[in-house]
Amino acid sequence: MEKQFILHMLTTAKNLSPFDVNMALDAGWVSALAYTNVEPSEVQGLVQDAIFSRSAKNLRRTGIFIGGRDTKQAMDMLKIAKRSMIPPFEVSVFADPSGAFTTAAGMVAAVEYELVTKFNTTLVGKNILALGGTGPVGQVAAVIAAQAGANVRIIGRQLDRAQNIADLCNNEFGEGKINITAGADADKAEYIKTADVVFATGAAGIELLSAVLIASASQLKVAADVNAVPPAGIAGVDAFHNGTPIEGSNSGAVGIGALAIGNVKYQAQSLLLKQMINSDKPVYLHFEHAFSVARDYIKAKY
Amino acid sequence: MKKRSILHMLDPMPNNSPFDINMAMDAGFDVLMPYSNVKLDSVYGLTQDAIFSRGPSGVKLTGIFIGGRDLALAMDMLTTCQQAMVPPFEVSVFADPSGAFTTAAALVACVEKELKTKHGKELKDCTALVFGGTGPVGLATGIIASLAGADTALVDHLSINTAQDVANAYNRRFSSTLKAAVASNDAEKAKVCANADIIFCAAKAGIQVLNATVLKSATQLKVAGDVNAVPPMGIEGIKRNDLGVPLIHAINATNAVGVGALAVGNVKYQLQHEMLKLMLTTDKPLYLDFRQAFDKARELV
Repeated sequence: MEKQFILHMLTTAKNLSPFDVNMALDAGWVSALAYTNVEPSEVQGLVQDAIFSRSAKNLRRTGIFIGGRDTKQAMDMLKIAKRSMIPPFEVSVFADPSGAFTTAAGMVAAVEYELVTKFNTTLVGKNILALGGTGPVGQVAAVIAAQAGANVRIIGRQLDRAQNIADLCNNEFGEGKINITAGADADKAEYIKTADVVFATGAAGIELLSAVLIASASQLKVAADVNAVPPAGIAGVDAFHNGTPIEGSNSGAVGIGALAIGNVKYQAQSLLLKQMINSDKPVYLHFEHAFSVARDYIKAKY
Repeated sequence: MKKRSILHMLDPMPNNSPFDINMAMDAGFDVLMPYSNVKLDSVYGLTQDAIFSRGPSGVKLTGIFIGGRDLALAMDMLTTCQQAMVPPFEVSVFADPSGAFTTAAALVACVEKELKTKHGKELKDCTALVFGGTGPVGLATGIIASLAGADTALVDHLSINTAQDVANAYNRRFSSTLKAAVASNDAEKAKVCANADIIFCAAKAGIQVLNATVLKSATQLKVAGDVNAVPPMGIEGIKRNDLGVPLIHAINATNAVGVGALAVGNVKYQLQHEMLKLMLTTDKPLYLDFRQAFDKARELV
């Protein structure tokens, strides 16, 4: 008898996200089991328990998902999980804390698509402002865009916190190969003048970029907002915008709203959950892989 | 619609073991329900909640699994489950905390078989040491070996008092005759190993407990079994797949052989699989612990 697909879902939070559970079951995992309040120090034990009860062949039908809220912690847990494998006893692991990896990947891929199709350019060398960029989605979007060649500035209400997050992004997630800078929210009127792209990843219901600032953004091309709850994070960009011209932009910028980003995010998460099932070799998936599948998905529309 | 089989997995720990989840699914249970942070005083209520909702035919497709890390607590939970049954509303219950019962049963059964085939001896003719004897697998190993007649001592790596307290407590509970020993360094290990016929190593994964030098002192050694699958092995010279392979470092013992973690693990795996399947196929509800596990492990080897 073929063994059932089992996904062991670890989270540092007190509950799994039902979003992730639905996604896992819809991607083809038959059983999704929750492990809650998991400390990073418990990951090795859980992983080794999971790998030693099935044959190497059936471990391909076994996977581990890492949720939680904290991006650094999730990446650390992914690294620990990978280190805990004892080949051939090895399973695929996918980290997507708060869905931040796939959301960020979906946003950056959607922005890149607009740059290519509407402005005949790419992310390379673009000035990007990550507004409300200190949260999980903002951090990861900044890293993905910087890895794709953009000059990214993380904007936060407090400059020192934004700087700490930029350092974390550069050193931890970018392994020292990227150079994200930081800026204070109070100075964004200055930064917006030279911005090509804006990511808005602040808390829901807070306007991060006003109509006045949109009007002053003389080289703005694409503005993306993950916030689906009114008021919009970027004035003139609503949840349904998908490459729609922004009213009030003097540079012909287009907007991408939460639903368009959500669609790519959904596809990326589903594709990675399926990749775990279909891969011959164990895979260790995080934001880089999320961006790769999000890009492929969008490219299919070119 | 045909009823699906359900395994209610009770665990006193913050999370169930992924090992048990995989095993239960692979044994054929359709739906697994983890219950974590379960306290002993909730077990009676949980059991009655499980038995009264499916009718007499449904209870045959329902089981309770007891996990955790604590052997005594698991046994108390098993007893409580049994007391909570109201025939014909009764389901099978299987306790295997940390997989310790099936691991220990498999370890002792493998060692017993090598003892018989390579040395013509029974457990009752032998003295046995259990390193890591105060952990769950070590304890269950000690109790099984002792009940099978071996003169068995639990070895703690820090304190004789710990080992003695544990031995006393479990002797009272299971009528075993466990002794206690301590060995914190190579000299002490060499001393306790000198007269042992059997050495069980159930210490923490990835820690070498007995090195080649210590093994030189083991002059009576016949069979050594190791459940540590994470390098370095618990006993130097035993490979994970060894099953009755000569112990190269026990140079002063005659024909001593070793049993490695994957050899034990293979039997443990089949054993746990069989016991979980038994819960689904049995006509009468079963209450399964290390004793039934050892009986079944003896059949398997």
